[in-house]
Amino acid sequence: MGRYVARRLLQMIPVFFGATLLIFLMVNVMGDPIAGLCGERACDTATAAQLKRQFGLDMPLWRQYTTYMGNVFTGDFGSAFNGQPVTQLMASAFPVTIRLTVVAILFEIVIGIALGVVTGLRRGRPVDTSVLVLTLVVISVPTFVTGLLLQLLLGVQWAWIKPSVSPEATFGELIVPGLVLASVSLAYVTRLTRTSLAENRRSDYVRTAVAKGLPRRRIVVRHLLRNSLIPVVTFIGTDIGALMGGAIVTERIFNIHGVGYQLYQGILRQNTQTVVGFVTVLVLVFLVANLLVDLLYAVLDPRIRYA
Amino acid sequence: MLLEVRDLHVEFRTRDGVVHAVNGVTCEVDAGETLAVLGESGSGKSVTAQAVMGILDTPPGRIGGGQVLFRGTDLLTLKEEERRRIRGAEMAMIFQDALSALNPVMTVGDQLGEMFVVHRGMSRKAARAKAVELMDRVRIPAAGQRVGDYPHQFSGGMRQRIMIAMALALEPALIIADEPTTALDVTVQAQVMDLLAELQHEYGMGLVLITHDLGVVADVADRIAVMYAGRIVESAPVHDIYKAPAHPYTRGLLDSIPRLDRKGRELYAIKGLPPNLLAVPPGCAFHPRCPLARDVCRTDVPPPYEVSGTRTSACHFWKECLDGRAGS
Amino acid sequence: MPEQPYEPERAVAGTGMGGAMDLGASEASTLEGAPGGPGGAGPAARPRSLWSDAWRDLRRNPVFLVSALLICFLVLIAIRPSLIASGNPLTCDLARAQDGPAPGHPFGFDGQGCDVYTRTVYGARASVTVGVCATLGVALLGSVLGGLAGFFGGAWDAVLSRITDIFFAIPVVLGGLVLLSVVPGNTVWPVVGFIVLLGWPQIFRIARGSVLTAKQQDYVQAARALGASNSRILLRHIAPNSVAPVIVVATIALGTYIALEATLSYLGVGLKPPSVSWGIDISTASPYIRNAPHALLWPAGALAITVLAFIMLGDAVRDALDPRLR
Repeated sequence: MGRYVARRLLQMIPVFFGATLLIFLMVNVMGDPIAGLCGERACDTATAAQLKRQFGLDMPLWRQYTTYMGNVFTGDFGSAFNGQPVTQLMASAFPVTIRLTVVAILFEIVIGIALGVVTGLRRGRPVDTSVLVLTLVVISVPTFVTGLLLQLLLGVQWAWIKPSVSPEATFGELIVPGLVLASVSLAYVTRLTRTSLAENRRSDYVRTAVAKGLPRRRIVVRHLLRNSLIPVVTFIGTDIGALMGGAIVTERIFNIHGVGYQLYQGILRQNTQTVVGFVTVLVLVFLVANLLVDLLYAVLDPRIRYA
Repeated sequence: MLLEVRDLHVEFRTRDGVVHAVNGVTCEVDAGETLAVLGESGSGKSVTAQAVMGILDTPPGRIGGGQVLFRGTDLLTLKEEERRRIRGAEMAMIFQDALSALNPVMTVGDQLGEMFVVHRGMSRKAARAKAVELMDRVRIPAAGQRVGDYPHQFSGGMRQRIMIAMALALEPALIIADEPTTALDVTVQAQVMDLLAELQHEYGMGLVLITHDLGVVADVADRIAVMYAGRIVESAPVHDIYKAPAHPYTRGLLDSIPRLDRKGRELYAIKGLPPNLLAVPPGCAFHPRCPLARDVCRTDVPPPYEVSGTRTSACHFWKECLDGRAGS
Repeated sequence: MPEQPYEPERAVAGTGMGGAMDLGASEASTLEGAPGGPGGAGPAARPRSLWSDAWRDLRRNPVFLVSALLICFLVLIAIRPSLIASGNPLTCDLARAQDGPAPGHPFGFDGQGCDVYTRTVYGARASVTVGVCATLGVALLGSVLGGLAGFFGGAWDAVLSRITDIFFAIPVVLGGLVLLSVVPGNTVWPVVGFIVLLGWPQIFRIARGSVLTAKQQDYVQAARALGASNSRILLRHIAPNSVAPVIVVATIALGTYIALEATLSYLGVGLKPPSVSWGIDISTASPYIRNAPHALLWPAGALAITVLAFIMLGDAVRDALDPRLR
């Protein structure tokens, strides 16, 4: 087990540096890193040269990257266009997005798995078919359309919710945005659970459990579900990183001032420091979530644990 | 009589049509007796076993008719809940591949103990003690330490012992073993088979042994039922069959065993292919491959002719076969 | 489980059976399993393969028929939108902005007074182009790299696999925003390029996995033992058996790429006006969604149906190609 964790941690290191370098290159090579620094106007040549020196942008790229990473590891993510430290933006943005992600994950776990179990146990029945069709529709309608429509219906027409979320972004306000953010993944969780259940249902050990004379409930809960949910748990775990990074659209629709909002602003204003900083943290979150999934996987499946 | 199967029919709906997997099987097993069911894969032996146990997947499977009398009660008329109480407690099954038949994410102790928790209402702790006792019984070394291990941590032979222990747990009256040693190494096969035979003797259980291995049969079986295309073609005490088979198919099987006294001679082979169950030949299903086949075999399904008081053969010309005119 | 032994009988030679009856388990299973697999039945049975079997299933599957028809229609109007829409998507009349349906304008007008029907029809072109081109690029790049990595293994495999890990760690929409926000011009090609850049690792993994599996198969080992060259083994034996999962994943991915293009255009970094795209139309219609919901609903509906068609097609193909689910 210890070696397993150590190996996973070692594998994370090149991925972390590779992904951050990639984003660093994208932002720095393709964009103009000082474009946003002189307000809305373009900088004049002298100021530009001075700014470049000030931010070390006259150095070769690899030096810039190592300097930046060195700073990051001491907790210095640079500053945003208005001189505000990026860490300060993060401190306000991340809690909001984390709350949003938590709501989304809860939807995936509760509704996704429940629907998956119901359909998986009743394959071919009307419930199964209708839920399947529903998941297909949810997967096919892009998140921004789902978001706009729910906002129109619930927020504007029926006025059940406020169309946009207040800066505090409490859990209550995030229920509908969380559902929107979760929607596509939720449909995948349902389908994955259903398929996994249907596959395991025909397995030999379930037949053994039936031959042992166990009650149906026990067969389903103790034998079938325990095995079938392993891939589902894995999917949901890896989805955490994707949800946080993918919250841009949802946050834009509901005007939530989270990570996606800050990133969007950063990109529009071509603020290198904000974009690279936030993406670095997101990559880190993704990797840590994947590590946790691997550990959880080992806990759930003894065949991995003792391998 | 412990178990009597009368005229059992089982069919499967597939996308290519209805497959008649079992076409009127009749057989019986008494307490303490071992019945070997012999046949190629696809002959319907496993499906018969599943129908008796009540673990057939329905759909696509469907019981088309017949009776399964267990101590005189027709199991097919019982409610599912009543059948469940019988499964595992009074009749148990041993499967071929223990690695896939055991739950990979549960310790063997929990899987064994579950029998006592569910059927006997024991506490988990007491059930675990029983599990250790059972593992001892099937001679798993250091049972006390291994009770918390998972199936994949055991060797193939040890896993099959765990399957046997699970079947024996509640001392059922009948055990159905579906190719219990097929997945094992040859050296381990004998050990596991001996253990099974010994425990059967000790508990006085009825044993239905499904196999395609004639060697195993000769050692442990009292009676043999030979299946072909979903029917029992010959049923007889083991010695009678080995002495003189009364069905050309049985003779073909016996003649295709390599024997030391025939060393150097060409091995006999039954000609043709096993039947396609979607299109079973009319009349006697074996006729396209049979050396004795005549016109009547192509039209009339042979009934189980009584050869002697303990013996039947579903061949119109069983007498000729018995005289030894069918073989090589 | 009981289905398995009752598939049409397997081709077992008479001698084989005689031997198997006696030698027992291991031999028996090899003899039974080997020739032709399921369906290689007696002399009377028709020959079958994975592909012909799948095709037979597909022709009878209404989901496949509906989605395939829909896709043909979409491709047709993507190539020649004038077939069903006579107007010009860029001819707009501000005076009629946000108006509802009128004769000759069944879907009404959007915020700029453009005809929603014409724009919805013309919007198909961007979506279909992005979907098809990006999928071709992703499938080609991913399966070639994945196939080679899986087949040759070693350092190449290790390096490429780590690189795919890196791409997986970057959120897609975010990557699109960063990369496309600085690309000049207003064509579909940067979007296609970006999707290929971030999409290939998915196909890479599938292709690599299925080649690794195929490599272990007995028939490949046999071909190798008979002295077949690497390229022959790869092209004749491994590729045909690894291509099915790639096709399935690529078809479903095509739908998601179309959705991605619309999302990027909605966020303002994909196509930009005056290009015509469902994403742009949804984006421009969203501020006055209360007054003119039709301007949003029609392009959104068209988008959803297009994505749905490709996902359903992929689903149907997967069900047909995966014998386990039958």
